[in-house]
Amino acid sequence: MSKRKDATGVGRRGFLKGAAIAGAATTLASPLTAQATPTPPKRVKVPQGVSEIQKAAETTAPASMSNLPKGAENLVSPTSGSDFMVEGFKNLGFEYLASMPGSSFRALQESFINYGKNTAPQWIECFHEEISVAMSHGYAKVEGKPMLNLVHATVGLQHASMAIYNAYADRVPIVVVTANIADATERRPGVEVDHTVQDGAVIVRDYTKWDDSPGGLQHFAESTVRAYQIATTPPMGPVLLVADSSLQENPIPEDEKLTHPKLPRFTDAQGDQNAVAEVAKMLVAAENPVILADRGQPGPNGVLNPLVQLAEVLQCSIVDIGGRMNFPTQHGLNQSDRRGAVLAQADLVVGLDMTDFWGVTHAYKDQLHRSSRPLLKPGTKTVSVTSANQFIRSNFQNFQRFTDVDLEISGDGAQTLPYLLEAVKKAMSDDKKNAFEARGKKLADARKASFKAAETEAASGWDATPISTARLCMELWNVIKDEDYSLVAATQPGGYWSHKLWKMDKSYHYLGDSGAYGVGYGAGGAIGSALGNKKHGRFSVSIMGDGELMVGPGALWTAAKYQIPILTVMHNNRFYFQEVMHLQAMANRHMRDPHTAKIGTEIADPNIDFAKMAESFGMKGFTVTDPAKLGDTLKTAAAIVKKGEPVLVDVVSQGR
Amino acid sequence: MRVGFVAAAAAVVICASAVLAPHAGAQQSTGQQAAPQGDAKAGQQVFQADGCWECHGTVAQGGAITGPRLAATALPFDAVLQQLRTPQNAMPPYEAAILSDGDAANIYAWLKTLPAAPAASSIPLLSN
Repeated sequence: MSKRKDATGVGRRGFLKGAAIAGAATTLASPLTAQATPTPPKRVKVPQGVSEIQKAAETTAPASMSNLPKGAENLVSPTSGSDFMVEGFKNLGFEYLASMPGSSFRALQESFINYGKNTAPQWIECFHEEISVAMSHGYAKVEGKPMLNLVHATVGLQHASMAIYNAYADRVPIVVVTANIADATERRPGVEVDHTVQDGAVIVRDYTKWDDSPGGLQHFAESTVRAYQIATTPPMGPVLLVADSSLQENPIPEDEKLTHPKLPRFTDAQGDQNAVAEVAKMLVAAENPVILADRGQPGPNGVLNPLVQLAEVLQCSIVDIGGRMNFPTQHGLNQSDRRGAVLAQADLVVGLDMTDFWGVTHAYKDQLHRSSRPLLKPGTKTVSVTSANQFIRSNFQNFQRFTDVDLEISGDGAQTLPYLLEAVKKAMSDDKKNAFEARGKKLADARKASFKAAETEAASGWDATPISTARLCMELWNVIKDEDYSLVAATQPGGYWSHKLWKMDKSYHYLGDSGAYGVGYGAGGAIGSALGNKKHGRFSVSIMGDGELMVGPGALWTAAKYQIPILTVMHNNRFYFQEVMHLQAMANRHMRDPHTAKIGTEIADPNIDFAKMAESFGMKGFTVTDPAKLGDTLKTAAAIVKKGEPVLVDVVSQGR
Repeated sequence: MRVGFVAAAAAVVICASAVLAPHAGAQQSTGQQAAPQGDAKAGQQVFQADGCWECHGTVAQGGAITGPRLAATALPFDAVLQQLRTPQNAMPPYEAAILSDGDAANIYAWLKTLPAAPAASSIPLLSN
């Protein structure tokens, strides 16, 4: 581990002097767009070779050091290891860096701001690491690439841990950097000792794809690129780098030739071609095939577009499980509303990037004696295409029940679909086309019927007070339907009604959930997604639970400070609502007082004034209790968002 | 625990059509009997106090994912009582120890006083 050298002065005169700012940071190549054909290797333009700092040092006079009074050379230095680290991060094209400040990365923070000019990445100040990491999570779901995070040594990483677990379970790439001082003799007494560890990464190692604690700057440069590549290779996930504080703060040794490695062009794993051809034949031969899609790679390169193409060739049922925006909601082949019915009739089920294949294909009763039954009829063939099993850990069991599918193809869904499409076309015969068209017509009719049924369901309680969740969602839809909108986060009822009744057909129209269902993702995640949407000019909207927001309300301040446009619509039911239902179930099961479920679950008395809270953070806030006034209030709020500002509308709502 | 209702909720959706359906083997009333006289006002209070509203909504309009509409139900009382005592899905059981037959009758009486749901076609935002 690199030593601090200011105590002895050894090597001080050998430090590089007069470092210049590196050239403008390069950015990642345009997002991959090819969907009809297999995605080409990821191409990233990254400067490489000798560090710009070192190049500059060879040609620039160290004027700032030459004029120092005697003894000052042991007090100041024009550059530091953290500059070199920043250079590496800038080369990878990070747009933003979200962080709550922490002294363990003080050199890195200063380098990002002054050496890196606080651009690409721009520093985004947050109130809690659960917010900052959730922001990165939300951003990656829009852009398909990571935002950078800095978290304070020990305390910050522990704050961040649940947010990192969410990203892990949601298979979303984030790059987290924390700090440490490995050498105990280098630690300041007191707080710095409290904030150092033997192995910092162990805190989150069970739910990160990879971590490293580099012992030198060259090592750090290589691990930075490695971390990026690992995070963005499906199954995507969080990675962690430990930037030792001594390594950050010490000047760059003159005798160390530092280089930044290039990020290789790399491809994601595709399903074995023979197996894909076999599945294509099965799909063509099946009478009632069903394709399930869940949690593939996030962002614009997911399964959405290739799945539409495949579905339209096969004219078969598609069920979107909802981990991503996988299939247009109003497409005739979207049978998500009829999941139970189509699975019961299926003779072939193909799952793409499934989180829980077993759970989707079984009915489960959460009663005193828990029980389950398969939804598939005997003999139904099952196929799973997933890269998840290429990376699996033991302790955190979010991999769910084992599913004894007939064929598992190891590969990314989005990468495999183009090959599957070509194989299906090859396996098709003309006589099949008529049968497929008839099948597709029946499915489209069923989809129309389920849409009408959802409208009827939504009408129930339309004028109720508190405001029904259906009305909340449809009044909101009326305001955003002509916008290039993005539903960046939603409570369960929000996701339920939007998928039933909204027209959603772009990858960013719905960004899924937290991944691990940890309350606390919503506020930061929504803001992060809205930040990703900002440069595209999209209208971001969230349907936010009251309990959810209260885990990280400081995210609102971040939205106001950086003028991140987003309409936050509170689904304020004044409860931890899942919990009140769980508690009710337990009281009933034990045949005890059924009136007590609200104890410890109610968020009332006093009621939280979310509009005032929003105002205190620097954004406009509204409260709505009358359903008749909801539409106009949302229109007023939407006009504020279109001016580029965040706004909150507190809707006092039904529970579900 | 913050989570875990998703699976249960999904089960409810799957079984929604059977939520209040009478079934064979009923332990209590087996024939379709006339509904007992109930106090609708008291029934509304019990509906709110005993947690029925949590899944079915404060005016029994039904909830997203959780429970179906009950307002103005066409189901007979004994089917409702059957579902309360031995629910066929993720609904919590309401045994007589915590909800008497009289309270159930009061709830039923209130449900019968509620208006039918408006037609979607009468609501501009739902007239797609």
